[in-house]
Amino acid sequence: MIRLERVTKLYKTSTRPALDRVSMQVEKGEFVFLIGPSGSGKSTFLRLLLREDVPTKGNIFVSDMNVAKLPRRRVPKLRQRIGCVFQDFRLLTNKTVGENVAFALEVIGKSRNTVSKVVPEVLDLVGLTGKADRMPHELSGGEQQRVAIARAFVNRPQVLLADEPTGNLDPDTSQDIMLLLERINRTGTTVLMATHDHSIVDSMRRRVVELDLGTVVRDDVRGVYGVGR
Amino acid sequence: MRADFVTREVFTGLRRNVTMTIAMVLTTAISLGLVGTGLLAVRTIDRTEQLYSDRFEVQVTLTADVSATDLDCSQPICTDLRDTLERSPLVESVRFQSQQEAYEHFQELFAGQALAEVARPQSLPATLRVRLADQQGGADAVRQAVDGQVGVRNVIDQREVVAKLFDMIGSFRDVTFALAIVQAIAALLLISNTVQISAYTRRTEVGVMRLVGATRWYTQLPFLIEAVVTGVIGALIAVGGLVAGKFLFIDDLLSGIVANGVVPPVELADIGWVAPILIMIGGGIAAVTGYVTLRMYVRL
Repeated sequence: MIRLERVTKLYKTSTRPALDRVSMQVEKGEFVFLIGPSGSGKSTFLRLLLREDVPTKGNIFVSDMNVAKLPRRRVPKLRQRIGCVFQDFRLLTNKTVGENVAFALEVIGKSRNTVSKVVPEVLDLVGLTGKADRMPHELSGGEQQRVAIARAFVNRPQVLLADEPTGNLDPDTSQDIMLLLERINRTGTTVLMATHDHSIVDSMRRRVVELDLGTVVRDDVRGVYGVGR
Repeated sequence: MRADFVTREVFTGLRRNVTMTIAMVLTTAISLGLVGTGLLAVRTIDRTEQLYSDRFEVQVTLTADVSATDLDCSQPICTDLRDTLERSPLVESVRFQSQQEAYEHFQELFAGQALAEVARPQSLPATLRVRLADQQGGADAVRQAVDGQVGVRNVIDQREVVAKLFDMIGSFRDVTFALAIVQAIAALLLISNTVQISAYTRRTEVGVMRLVGATRWYTQLPFLIEAVVTGVIGALIAVGGLVAGKFLFIDDLLSGIVANGVVPPVELADIGWVAPILIMIGGGIAAVTGYVTLRMYVRL
């Protein structure tokens, strides 16, 4: 589903590569934690997958699309296959919960019928039944993140990228969000989650890829965050 | 493409930047109002030329002695001159106006004025009034044929007199176009600025649109339509301004010379002719400026 071949990313402002000859593969339906200290290259990794940036060297494949060489006009097609969730939720504060989720479908031209059918379904899936008409500020942090997940998942992407999705949440709420991501993973969606949250990584015992100074220093099939961290 | 979605986004954007939108509409309106005024001046010049083209004559005035002695152009000097003129293929017809007829015409023109009292028939020359078949080269041909001939006092080309009027309207047109260009630059910068602000205030929406895979076209279209809507509204206000200007100022200003047939009136039909041009310019310039701004300054 995701394959990186000796991917290097150099920024003009830095002498050290943000990613240095990284190779790895993620199979369809896998759940992978991407861990590592700040500046280890996690964000660059996610940005390259989304084609927010292009690698200096190497190839990146996401569901058979060569992301590094993708022409600009085909980037939207790639992004329609990838859902994204962020630490800061990035909800549209002037739209209701339902409108926030619907927005993701409307902007890719889905019909009104599809939108009105799919949005309630995905809100049920994330546990927000009956809250479609609420405004984001009326919701708790956990609920807001659920809206963000619903928006990321509503178009049934093949891959879900989550960048510190529990970073702003208390431990209990974080646990709920992880249960939700697991549920989404069970539908066959590949989940790649960058995190600093030890307890979550340790409790889930899923594949852990650790980055340090732009290189993969560990890749455990059922890993933990790491002793002494 | 979901039309309802794009429409909703456009109105949200216009509402959110309402003060900038109003500034953009007004600047565009003033700019296009000036362009429209210039276009009306061009049209007036064209129509004035048409108005005069079949009235233009070249007048060959005769010397005092010929004027006094030959009352119906039957003597050799006058008949020779007339024959010479009539032979020219560039001349349509030649009409003789005697001193007496000139005097009567003068009395009509200046009836009730002191000038009419002091004028005497012998102070006005008899004239050969030449109608041209060729408006372009005819006047020069007439001048060459008769200038300096015995019995000719001078040759007057009426177009030279009217040219001054055209020069005046032309200068007015140039000034309005110059002002329009300055205003247009201000309007372009405002449109560009507004599009940038609009994109900035909606950066979260735009960010989400990009992430979920909206095409560049889908992302840009609301901003472009916003710019075009304000450009077109500006043009419509400009057209309204021209209509108001016609009834409030232009009609009064030109009433005297229009009544005398010197220039044609500015009709509503003229503004109707200008309106679609202004709307196309307003919408077109806004669209192009918006597109270039989005390409250059805004990452979508």
